[in-house]
Amino acid sequence: MRSRFKGRSRPVVMLILAGSFVISYLAFRQGAVLSQGMYRVGVSPDGPDIWDGRFSTIILPRSTGRLMLDEKALDVYIDGDQVVHRDDDRSLYAAGALKLYLEKQELARIKDGYEIDRAFPLRIEVNHLPAPTGQGVSLSELVDALTSAAEPVGADSGVDQPLSDAPHTDFAVMEQIKEMESGGGRPGIEMEFTSDKEIIVPSLMSPPIPFAQVVIAFLYVLPVSFVSVFFTSSFMDEKIDRRITVLMSAPVTPFEIIAGKMLPYVSFSLVSVVIMTLVLRGNLLLAMAIFIPVILFIFSIYLMVPLVYRTFRDTTFISMLATTVITSYLVFPAMFSGVNDLSYMSPLTLAVKMYREEPFGLKEYVFSTASMYLVFALSMYVGTRILNEEYLLRFRPLYRKVAEAIYLVIDRSRPYLSITLLGLFLIPIVYMIQLVTLAVSLNLPMRYAVGVLLIIAVVVEEVAKSAGIAVLLENRAVSRTKDVVVLSFLSAAGFLVGEKLLLAVSVSVVSESVLSAALFSSGLLLIPLVAHFVSTATVCLLTSRFGVRVYPYAVLAGSIVHALYNLYVLGAIP
Amino acid sequence: MSVFAAIVKKELRSVTKEKTIMIAIMIQLFIASFSSAILIGMLSFYDPDSIGLNARISLGVGIIGDADSPLIGFLRDRNARVVVFSSPEEAESAFKAGAIDTVIFVPEAMPGDSRGVVDTKLFLPASETQATLILMVLKGPMKRYENYLRERNGVHVRYTDIEGRPSTTYEFRYSVIIPILMFFPAFVAGSMVVDSISEELENHTLDTLWAAPVSLNVIFGAKIAAALVLAVVQCALWSMLLRLNRVPIQNLGLVLLLAALLAAIIAVGSALVAVYFKDRERSQFTYSLFLLLSAGMSYFFDASPITLMTRLATGDHYTGVANVAIYGILLLALLAAFFSTAEKLVAVPS
Repeated sequence: MRSRFKGRSRPVVMLILAGSFVISYLAFRQGAVLSQGMYRVGVSPDGPDIWDGRFSTIILPRSTGRLMLDEKALDVYIDGDQVVHRDDDRSLYAAGALKLYLEKQELARIKDGYEIDRAFPLRIEVNHLPAPTGQGVSLSELVDALTSAAEPVGADSGVDQPLSDAPHTDFAVMEQIKEMESGGGRPGIEMEFTSDKEIIVPSLMSPPIPFAQVVIAFLYVLPVSFVSVFFTSSFMDEKIDRRITVLMSAPVTPFEIIAGKMLPYVSFSLVSVVIMTLVLRGNLLLAMAIFIPVILFIFSIYLMVPLVYRTFRDTTFISMLATTVITSYLVFPAMFSGVNDLSYMSPLTLAVKMYREEPFGLKEYVFSTASMYLVFALSMYVGTRILNEEYLLRFRPLYRKVAEAIYLVIDRSRPYLSITLLGLFLIPIVYMIQLVTLAVSLNLPMRYAVGVLLIIAVVVEEVAKSAGIAVLLENRAVSRTKDVVVLSFLSAAGFLVGEKLLLAVSVSVVSESVLSAALFSSGLLLIPLVAHFVSTATVCLLTSRFGVRVYPYAVLAGSIVHALYNLYVLGAIP
Repeated sequence: MSVFAAIVKKELRSVTKEKTIMIAIMIQLFIASFSSAILIGMLSFYDPDSIGLNARISLGVGIIGDADSPLIGFLRDRNARVVVFSSPEEAESAFKAGAIDTVIFVPEAMPGDSRGVVDTKLFLPASETQATLILMVLKGPMKRYENYLRERNGVHVRYTDIEGRPSTTYEFRYSVIIPILMFFPAFVAGSMVVDSISEELENHTLDTLWAAPVSLNVIFGAKIAAALVLAVVQCALWSMLLRLNRVPIQNLGLVLLLAALLAAIIAVGSALVAVYFKDRERSQFTYSLFLLLSAGMSYFFDASPITLMTRLATGDHYTGVANVAIYGILLLALLAAFFSTAEKLVAVPS
């Protein structure tokens, strides 16, 4: 409707965009040069040259070097072919870092100094044995798998082991040397082409982390999040000036207001994606298909921020939180593309695949982008429902604002349908929260991590299922016990259908990942209707009987019921 | 001075009442834990030694072919259960039964082989996750075997026996986590000052305050001080948490002083930005952009605050009070600039 990219803020916008591009470029060029000058290294005159930002190097004669090492003025001293260190932490770590660096240098020296057969005498041809399909991994097996890899694999088809003469493998070695020298574009371990017999050389093997491609994919997200913050600001300004009141009294629907306000920013983001793709010489259509859902997702999150905000400071912090969550949700899984199929949950993985020129199918596309589209649709709907003057301009605690939003979203004339759909549509949000929890809980020791994950998953699910009913109860839209029971059943049913759908999509993509198998089939997400119903009804009936004040305790009670059931399924309770 | 204290108190009260500071703390916790989750994930592929993955995983490796290959010894050193099979069929049935995880074929050493090349075959399960894990565990012994073959070919590899400790986690903690945790509060402080000042300027509430016998500098000073108090409290909290997690910080006093000085510099800088632009949108963006730019630029300088923080926290021999003092001087200069221009800037309509 109105473009914000006019008038006085234009130069600032341009400056910021230019800045973000410069920063992205710098970040890209600089790569992972952290820990600058972290270690102090002394080198004897006949020692090697050290060209690594982490080491501050001085050339020192033997006696001085050793003396300074003892005085802790140096962390390591390289005496010709020998590396001397102390036994304290700092010195040991420095020696460890130096070991990795020197290993690489030696490799380069050997490659230049000797013919390829002598320098790289060991070649390994990798073959993949067919895996059994449809193995049911339980949670206890997840723990086993993460603590020991000795998991039995029952192959059910024939092992093909032609022990014939190996082909001449020098070509593969040359290729890998070239890759190493070009800075590691494609990782050495390629899991995608199982039909191809790949050759690996141990010392040229690089970890399968597609760091460069993830950075590229991140470059796309950066300008979009900058632009979307402007979108938030523009909404806020309207609120401050009360211009939004005027807008709302005009003959336009809330949807038109939101879509109109969003359009210029979305198109601007699209332009940045197009420019970026052209500069990087990517596939334009593919890039659009991947990044349109990402853009919509980011905007839908930022649409929610100004709608529930209360003060300036709030908006800043909530935007910051949103940026962090979005960034980690998108970037974290992409780091593991090619390692674990669960990485497909982020569309950036598709972008990584695109830049590695690896194929991916429609199934993978749907898996990673469906939640993005769903969240967008959900937030657009919520946005249009809560866009009214009273809601926008009232100052209330955050959780009250959320409760009011849920109340506004529910169609009071059709509570049964609304509650069922609410249960269904909250699935993507529950799913995202659980996945984020999964990532964060990895910080804890494994034993606690699983416990914490279980508890949080259960509580989040219970809140999702009962929130709508609790809000109805609070507003006295429902009061009879029978209605509460029916609504609980419907909410549980809607939730279950959502879960099943999610499961169907996930299982077809993530067929073998231990992690996902545990998440989806062990009862963390999937428990039968009865159990869902009983726990939800517990929460709602308690709330109905004792009032909304006890809602937190009611959630706790429902979660305990739910958790007990989960433990029973897992076999922890006989 | 009592007016100053009163404004500081009012600012702090509004922050705690809105519980926004809790969101800020959550973000920091989230960033720190998320980045370490990424690190742990990447380490398991990059550098399995550093998280002790190899020690905990005992692979069952089947060997076909050369029963006297030195590779077997290298594998056993790495905690692998090595079983030698005389035929592929036996290996296959053992694999099917789940007794072994992977099979390696090592050709018999031929005396007349002049090329010195050994072509082995590795059989991995089709599961991507398992195959990656197995490859990562095998990498170490394979590399040792490769170096053994190189020696046999007359190629000497130096520096293979350095007994260091894997440094990735150490570097990450001190050059990423600690700087993030110590500088993020400063970032939050700057953002708070921008919001607080531009809110008053936009809503014209400053006019009423101004009418009271309080100088503008006292008001701005109090807002900056309030943000600073919060930043220092957060930094102290993080350093306690790090200590609980057994991440010792050397020169703790200097580290906290540096964090406080930077928070003050950023807060004063952001106040200057807010007073200049007088509206929140542009101030916040100029401020964030400026911050991003300076963080990016600081990589090019040897004495960047991040490097300085890393060096202080790891107990570098050559880093001390003098390096921190530079930032003190910078702060004084900025303070002087701000308090001499703020009143004039506010009077200029934007």
